[in-house]
Amino acid sequence: MKAIKKILKARESSSVLFLVALFLVVGAINPSFLSTANVSACFNTSVVYTLVAIGMAFTLFIGEIDVSVGSNLGLVATIVGMMLRDGSNLMLACCVGIFIGALIGLINGWGVAVMKAPSLIFTLGVNGVLRGLMYLVAGGAWVENLPKAFKDFSAVTAVGDLTVYYCGAVLLAIVIHILLTKTRHGHNFKAVGDNRAGANLVGINSTRTMLLSYVICGVLAAIAGIIFCSRIGFVTSTTGSGYEMKAVAACVLGGISLAGGVGSVLGPAVGAVIMASISYLLTFMGFSSNYDNAITGVILIVIVVADALIQARSAEKNRHARLAARVSDDVTADVAAAKGGE
Amino acid sequence: MPEDRTKTVEATQTKAAKPGASLLSRITAGQGSWNMLLMALIIIEFVVFGAANPKFLRPQLFFTSLNDSLPVFIISIAVTFVMITGGIDIQVASLVGLTSIIIGVAWQDWGFSIWGAILLAIVVVVACGAFSGFLIAYCRVQAMVVTLGGSFLYSGLALIVSTMSSTESYQGISGFPDAFKFLGGYKFFDVFPLQMAIYLLLLVIAFILLNKSKYGRKVILSGTNPRAAEYSGINTRLTIMSTYMLSAFAAAIAGILLTSYLGTAKSDLGSDLTMDIITAVVLGGTLVTGGRGSVIGVALASFAIGLVRFGMPLCFKVSTQYPGHPHRNPADRHHRWSFSGEQHQCRD
Repeated sequence: MKAIKKILKARESSSVLFLVALFLVVGAINPSFLSTANVSACFNTSVVYTLVAIGMAFTLFIGEIDVSVGSNLGLVATIVGMMLRDGSNLMLACCVGIFIGALIGLINGWGVAVMKAPSLIFTLGVNGVLRGLMYLVAGGAWVENLPKAFKDFSAVTAVGDLTVYYCGAVLLAIVIHILLTKTRHGHNFKAVGDNRAGANLVGINSTRTMLLSYVICGVLAAIAGIIFCSRIGFVTSTTGSGYEMKAVAACVLGGISLAGGVGSVLGPAVGAVIMASISYLLTFMGFSSNYDNAITGVILIVIVVADALIQARSAEKNRHARLAARVSDDVTADVAAAKGGE
Repeated sequence: MPEDRTKTVEATQTKAAKPGASLLSRITAGQGSWNMLLMALIIIEFVVFGAANPKFLRPQLFFTSLNDSLPVFIISIAVTFVMITGGIDIQVASLVGLTSIIIGVAWQDWGFSIWGAILLAIVVVVACGAFSGFLIAYCRVQAMVVTLGGSFLYSGLALIVSTMSSTESYQGISGFPDAFKFLGGYKFFDVFPLQMAIYLLLLVIAFILLNKSKYGRKVILSGTNPRAAEYSGINTRLTIMSTYMLSAFAAAIAGILLTSYLGTAKSDLGSDLTMDIITAVVLGGTLVTGGRGSVIGVALASFAIGLVRFGMPLCFKVSTQYPGHPHRNPADRHHRWSFSGEQHQCRD
């Protein structure tokens, strides 16, 4: 019973409920949507977003942001795509891609944690540099003609209609969630985000924690880039643009605060599914995909505003409770003093 | 008297360098010396680009090319106000497109006169800014999140408005009357563009608004110390909300001039401006954490960025635009805007 209450209280559960409600509403309007194939397609399309959003969550935990993930994804996709096209070994290409992602994360982390530059500005700059690099590497052309085996692997299913990629991403999210909640170092990220000076005082190396979260973010974006390559089969010069904002939106939908120190990685994973399936759901509801952005914006704004109002209300309630407790304490003390005086 | 107050505000600013901004606040310790640095940067750009390609210094070409960066110039001075209050506005770029498409559709399909259409666009866009500003100031939601949602919502709205037109949205609405094209196309002495003059006028107004008016004091104090501002009788919430309306208004002006200059109304005009605007505002010496900023600094910074944008391709054949510019390649554009491309891929 206690466990059920705990689950219901968790912020992620409202995202899950929202997702289920979304699917049911669409199912009510167009019953043909509620088939295993369609629902799993929603999950399968979200794999790239899921990975980027989980990475983004790490930088949001520490109260910073990384808006270079989109071009990070694009650059890695371009380089890995070119290596595979030119007949390179898959393992080697993946290792190079992940190494580049980690390096980008390290640069971001260095700028933010060591040089103390504002994260939005610093990563925005890195974003521009990476876009330029991507253009130079590919020469502005599309990367096409990837090996068929690599492309076909994206269609291999693991559980039911869910692809290996999506199951892998979910497994990764669960492992990260367990590491974050059950290990001592896992709590460091949110501690730093909540109160960096306080975290330093209790012996957490906040600089290293911040560096680590940026590296994790970079690596996950790189993995997302490789999967993007495999799923789509070609890389354009705008690949990945806009992913950073969708990832932030997925995190916010999943209950993470941009102020840092709040949330889990399961929330963003659910948020990513919502973000990725909106346009898919719209087609089932008979809308054109022109409504995609507007509806995404409305959902995002409604959720964050509702969240902010609820939080403000509960903070006010707690304040009243504290005040009331203090008053009653004072009264008891007065009564005791009066009795002592008699 | 006001000068004294400015000094004290600035002094407390430099002393109490806020965490997370220590690097920038150290560099930009004095706005005056920072502006000199920016001036030096601009002079270096002139010398380098001028030496690399003498065409760069031809006034005709110079002003025409600088026109491309005009939306950034105009919007960044207004976003400075937002950032001084400690907020950020990443929705302005989507408002440029919304302005443009409302003008086009209202004029072509809804039977408005061109000036009526412009007025309608300004009203709608400022209302959009007010909506986001309201959520930020009164509901206390983070500015970054609200304007992120706003950027989706308003670019989506622009797309929806464009579907109400009889013209296909990717073509853009053109054929505007000459009086409207005059705004973006007219040049004094065949050299100096009218829209540049409008920008300079707006710059002077913004400078007076920030440095010489009561409103400017309120904006700065709301960013420096909101609580002190509240206690001294400033309605900080209204002040903060008004800065978002101001930036939306600037986006509307930029959208009008851009539409007039290009002669086409499209829903995705200006969609790639966000990064340049934020860069200009920060490079101009505005504190990201709020409390300090300079209109002159931002104007200089945006000018420096504009010079790079036009000098690099001209002199060194390096494209500084993203190659997959949404206006250029319809195939890319489709891929960029929706997931449908991806989904077709997997279903096949």
